[in-house]
Amino acid sequence: MQRSSSPEIEIDTRRADTVRRTLWYGLVVVILIWCAVIPVFDGNLSLYFAMMMWVTLATGLNFIAGFTGYMPFGYVAFYGIGAYATGIAVKVLGMSVYLAIPFAGVVGVLFGLLIAPTLRLSGIYFAIVSLSLAIICQRAIALMPEEVTGGSLGLNLGVVTVREHGYYAMLLILVAALLTASWLARSRLGKALKAIRDDAEAAEALGVNVTRSRLYAWLLATLFPALAGGTQAWFTGALDPQTAFDVLVTAKTVIYAMAGGLGTVLGPLVGTVVLVWVDELIWRAFPVLNNFLLGAIIAALILFAPRGLIGSLTRRYPRLRRYIM
Amino acid sequence: MTDAILSVDGLVKRFGGLVAVNEVSFDVPRGLIVGLIGINGAGKTTLMNCVNGIYHSDGGRVVVDGHDMTNHKPHEIASLGVGRTFQIPRIFHRMTLIENLMVPVLGSEKSDAELTDMAEACLDRVDLYPLRGNNGEELSGGQQKLLELARVLMFDPALILLDEPFAGVNPSLCRIMIQQIEKMKQDGKSFLLVSHDLTSIYRLSDQISVLNQGEIIASGTVETIQSDPAVIEAYLGN
Ligand SMILES: Nc1ncnc2c1ncn2[C@@H]1O[C@H](COP(=O)(O)OP(=O)(O)OP(=O)(O)O)[C@@H](O)[C@H]1O
Ligand SMILES: [Mg+2]
Repeated sequence: MQRSSSPEIEIDTRRADTVRRTLWYGLVVVILIWCAVIPVFDGNLSLYFAMMMWVTLATGLNFIAGFTGYMPFGYVAFYGIGAYATGIAVKVLGMSVYLAIPFAGVVGVLFGLLIAPTLRLSGIYFAIVSLSLAIICQRAIALMPEEVTGGSLGLNLGVVTVREHGYYAMLLILVAALLTASWLARSRLGKALKAIRDDAEAAEALGVNVTRSRLYAWLLATLFPALAGGTQAWFTGALDPQTAFDVLVTAKTVIYAMAGGLGTVLGPLVGTVVLVWVDELIWRAFPVLNNFLLGAIIAALILFAPRGLIGSLTRRYPRLRRYIM
Repeated sequence: MTDAILSVDGLVKRFGGLVAVNEVSFDVPRGLIVGLIGINGAGKTTLMNCVNGIYHSDGGRVVVDGHDMTNHKPHEIASLGVGRTFQIPRIFHRMTLIENLMVPVLGSEKSDAELTDMAEACLDRVDLYPLRGNNGEELSGGQQKLLELARVLMFDPALILLDEPFAGVNPSLCRIMIQQIEKMKQDGKSFLLVSHDLTSIYRLSDQISVLNQGEIIASGTVETIQSDPAVIEAYLGN
């Protein structure tokens, strides 16, 4: 049989695994060290914080959009809820901010659980309901008593928190998100999710518990934005309903993740880093045309690389698939 | 029948006013291949979808291996050992062939390495081994049919529902498929086989049922079906 007579292929596959793992963990370590030393050398803290936050958000979105094909247009709700859970925990409950972030994560996941029944909807219906829920959250928080949420003015945390610590918290969350993504891609849950994305009915007919697998992906996708939102509130020291539930947060996350390639582990990371940098460079060079140029670049990307940078690369060179996921 | 792996009793499925499956009853005895034939739109695929839970039926019972599985979820029915292929192949386009074969065994206790070996062996049985690292979307229509069969091999179910497995597959690969089906039957598997390829279905089936406008109009051995005037009129047209 041709199968057993090709030992070099077996070796090749094993080598590809090693190369992939080395590349991946190497990359995570480089990012970790790079971001970790920025504050020491007095680098552009805000830019790097933003970069880490967007990568985390894009990676979190990938868990549901990339792995199961659900596009939550109301993704920002979890970010906003995380921010407010942190704000309320610190200002109203007097919790330490270091505890408030995990608390925000729990609140985000609980909210995700609460609205999990919307996963029964599919495609555009899910997207629209998700968007409406985000808007409802924003209004509800703005209308709550001022002693709790600060009303439409928001809350100010600046006096009780240290900005640099918030920066490092974001770094930890980023690393956790990347490791989760790399675990998921290789795990059986990840395979179930990809099968569901490609054809849920066929996956179910083959014994995959679609409802349960989707729920797990959903909870992962709600955890990271909640953590990121909380940490953003910590880092900036302030939060208000307008910015915490800004639809642009969802839009940017979706664009960054798609630019890199949904459904790949590297995609959201690469897409975010590239676009955030491009944005920064254009902004420095052409302050007036900034948004116009960025829009043109994004349109061109979607047009010429509809599966994102990584997705298109692996489509052109299928052999690469074994090295980068 | 005493030892049936699948027993369908008075099954009804309506789409609005259309009765696609009308009070259908039949058994698939353990270890045998039951062929199901009928003209386009007779209700064969609908019947299969009711058996494996993709459709909610409007009446009747589906009993798998002694368990009443009427209107249970497809994954529950699958976990009792019911595998199937689809008339129009439904493979996982953005997963590699190996990953495609992993899907039915995600709950297995075997290690990933063992399962990968098994998947490679299954791909080899349908001549797809060289393409194992490609994505599903890179397969031709016929190759997709073969991949579906390999997925069933991997699944190793006790009862296998095959909906038009030979459509669009070239004769030499058809022969491979027939061999695989015969081999699985020797291993004790039972089949419900739908096909318009009468030569293959007559060759493989132990029993045949003929479906016409949602009703079974004849059942029996290949010989009785071939000479049944009602079948000839409904199916072969005079
Ligand atoms: N999802 C659906 N909604 C509405 N009507 C349907 C649906 N699926 C099937 N039907 C109808 O049910 C009848 C039986 O269809 P079915 O697909 O079971 O036929 P079939 O015997 O598999 O035919 P073929 O040999 O062409 O595959 C047809 O009249 C068809 O139009
Ligand atoms: Mg059909």
